[in-house]
Amino acid sequence: MNNITNKLREAELEDRAQEVELEYADSNEYDEDNVYINEETETGRERVIISHPPLERIVPPLNFCPVERYLYRSGQPSPVNFPFLLNLDLKTIIWLANEEPQDNLLEFCDNNNITLQFAAINPDGGEDDNPWDGLTEHSIINALRTIVSAEHYPLLVCCGMGRHRTGTVIGCLRRIMGWNLASVSEEYRRFTGSRGGRILVELLIEAFDTNLVEIDKDNAPDWLFTAL
Amino acid sequence: MHTTHYIPPLNFSPVISTDVSLYRSGYPMPINYSFIKERLNLQTIIYVGDKEDTSAEYIAFLQQEDINFIPVHMDSCNDVDIQAKLDRILHIILNVDNYPILIHSNKGKHRVGVVVGIIRKLLQGWSIAGVYQEYGIFSGGMKGETDLEFITMFKTDLIVDKNKLPGFARI
Repeated sequence: MNNITNKLREAELEDRAQEVELEYADSNEYDEDNVYINEETETGRERVIISHPPLERIVPPLNFCPVERYLYRSGQPSPVNFPFLLNLDLKTIIWLANEEPQDNLLEFCDNNNITLQFAAINPDGGEDDNPWDGLTEHSIINALRTIVSAEHYPLLVCCGMGRHRTGTVIGCLRRIMGWNLASVSEEYRRFTGSRGGRILVELLIEAFDTNLVEIDKDNAPDWLFTAL
Repeated sequence: MHTTHYIPPLNFSPVISTDVSLYRSGYPMPINYSFIKERLNLQTIIYVGDKEDTSAEYIAFLQQEDINFIPVHMDSCNDVDIQAKLDRILHIILNVDNYPILIHSNKGKHRVGVVVGIIRKLLQGWSIAGVYQEYGIFSGGMKGETDLEFITMFKTDLIVDKNKLPGFARI
């Protein structure tokens, strides 16, 4: 069945390619606008038709976004997001919370050789701990140490909603990268939803001493020092 | 370690950060040039927007950095020739030789949101809910129903060079 479909597609492809070439041969109106199209229709190249989305649709986790090369942020992935995560080919997930993530995420990591790094937000909190507390300096540094080591990539940083705790860690990373503070805050607030950002988080990012994160240049991801 | 204070353009973010780099943002201002120059190493900038005049400063910057600047005039997704414009942008995005690429509009919300939404849906196979969520993150919660309907209904028929396809395209 698939074979037949493929053959049909190939035949369609050839027909279409010929049509397009004819169209362009007939037309004298070459201009800047067409330069890319012309490049694609030169003879002797393997062509592919793009007319519909991939058959398997993938669902990104809540608040998902790329941060840097092979570095991503999001809220807690649920089973519906697992095919999406497989596409990222993750090696490590940093989970920023005191409680364990859902069992199915633990199982998913086990089955796919993904290291789940637990970065407890307030390891000394004990009974008094509550999820509204910001991250401690200790846990921010722990997460950042992993982020500045290339061996952990591809890497996803996540927390319950992908807003404040993830935003704190990414914000501190941006400061290490030399971003100015207003831009760091703009990025943080973008992911905080309708209630907006928390002043406490922004203060935490502002006060963070970037010298506390030692970076081994030989083992740092390329983008940290050079434009790619 | 980095002592310089980089100022990325408004609403700046990576869109694709794997084998190739595709970025999105609002209109770059002179205060953003050092960030673009030192951090992004761009080959191509696509501008989707309604400004006809490019400032002398911006032109000088683009020339100095040898960046291929491609303005695509776009008022909104209701433009009569919107299909041809988007097909042209997709052709550029589907050729690895053009990377790294920055797509910017004026604020990096709606027009860029439409282009990114189409990339997510058509080339990466993202669910429509995921596309809507991302549109919302960058538009500051503004819904943009027309844009979202347009992304949902968008169809195309492109022929591209298979050997130049970037890895993120799940074709």
